[in-house]
Amino acid sequence: MNPGVLDITPWRLALALVFSLLAGGCSLALKLGLGRDILIGTVRTFAQLFLMGWVLGLVFAVDSPWLVLGLFLVMAGAAAHTARGRVRESSVAFAWPMYASMAAVYLLVTITVTGAIVDATPWWKPQYFLPIGGMVLGNSMNSVAVALDRLFSDLRGHAAQVEMRLCLGADAAEASAEEVKSAVRAGLIPSINSMMAVGLVSIPGMMTGQILGGTDPSQAIRYQIVVMLMIVGATALGSTMLTLIIRRRCFGPGDRPLLR
Amino acid sequence: MSSLPHLALARVSFTHPAAAAPGGAPACRAILDAVDLVVPRGAFVLLTGPSGAGKSTLLRLFCRLEEPGSGQVLLDGEAVDSLPPALLRRRVSYLQQTPCVVPGSVRENLLLPFGFRAAAGLPRPDDAALTELLASLAAEDIPLAQEAATLSVGQRQRLCLARALLTRPEVLLLDEPMSALDPSSARAVLAAAESFCLDAGGTVLLVSHAELAPDRVTPRHYRLEAGRLEPGRLMGGGAA
Repeated sequence: MNPGVLDITPWRLALALVFSLLAGGCSLALKLGLGRDILIGTVRTFAQLFLMGWVLGLVFAVDSPWLVLGLFLVMAGAAAHTARGRVRESSVAFAWPMYASMAAVYLLVTITVTGAIVDATPWWKPQYFLPIGGMVLGNSMNSVAVALDRLFSDLRGHAAQVEMRLCLGADAAEASAEEVKSAVRAGLIPSINSMMAVGLVSIPGMMTGQILGGTDPSQAIRYQIVVMLMIVGATALGSTMLTLIIRRRCFGPGDRPLLR
Repeated sequence: MSSLPHLALARVSFTHPAAAAPGGAPACRAILDAVDLVVPRGAFVLLTGPSGAGKSTLLRLFCRLEEPGSGQVLLDGEAVDSLPPALLRRRVSYLQQTPCVVPGSVRENLLLPFGFRAAAGLPRPDDAALTELLASLAAEDIPLAQEAATLSVGQRQRLCLARALLTRPEVLLLDEPMSALDPSSARAVLAAAESFCLDAGGTVLLVSHAELAPDRVTPRHYRLEAGRLEPGRLMGGGAA
């Protein structure tokens, strides 16, 4: 164990259940009907994180690039599946392009960070690659969902304007340019807001973890700066690429709008 | 000059997916049933029929906003699906039933098409030309700097017609352009359509819920009902 980290014994971990009980008590008192969800959420938190801890321990021990990449792709698939579930549109098929684009874009960003900025050797060193990749996926997943949801709702809400631009000789890209801009903007704003608030409103998770682990705060902030910039870049790249790819699927042959 | 009809439909059928019956497969409603239509260049076609008969759908087929289930839609003898869509829609301009403007001034709305790639090479009109065009549509009272969103429905309709005319189309597809207009605005729009036909040699397909009697042209009248397109009686009109 790292000598700088205070050990949480199983009994002390169980003590943290007090907070779940507190949330359940609120639900009961106010008749929120969330008791079952709080229970399932608590069980899943324990189960998923223990499983993740076990898998990470295994991956660290095996130390194989293929295993690291395989695990990353599974995480990307889960992120894309979650983002897909948050988008309400069902008449446009976009699941597979979404999975492929998210995996490709976030893999590229994670390799750039571990290989060029953190300078991990090798670049796929699991202790760096998986936590950093996880942060890219976790944060960008929400942005992608927001951007796509906005794209679909705007293309439906502005159907008359899109059609009018088409009738004046615009192609599908020109006719939906405003809606694409609005979607990418909506996806980017949460990451930009996070950059505005970081260090003022909260100490971010990665930095907290490093400080708890005994890292010097001056070093921890450098990691956090890299993480913040990486998330904005990944969010911009992911939202833009996905919005452009999936926008194309919102038009049929002859640039005929499908959402109206 | 080509002897081919300017516009034509050859055995065109179109069905709309209707609401699915409870527990059953989605039902389909036939809108057009093997419809034939031949429109010579420079004709003024008036299309009437009951609500929901498919008049708008028929217009939208010519600019590929709808795709037929079977049959062919032709422009100058060429299948419309063989033409690049942006180029097709420059040649065949469809004016929506509800006039649609974008945020910005009247000038910005009129010049909107000139920002699209398909308009490359099209001369960009100056303010004098825009004002003259608006005046020809009895819309000389609309300042170019005015916010388009503040215009009345009648003014917007004339703005949209002016914008369509600026792209120099060969065909105007007018979808109930007078339905929400006061009598003077309606007369101005109809006169502009007649002028497009007589003076510019363009072809007009005009959908109207009510019967119309243009002053200067004798329209070819068709009635669409129950999926069939039948020639209607000729209405009073002018010379063409």
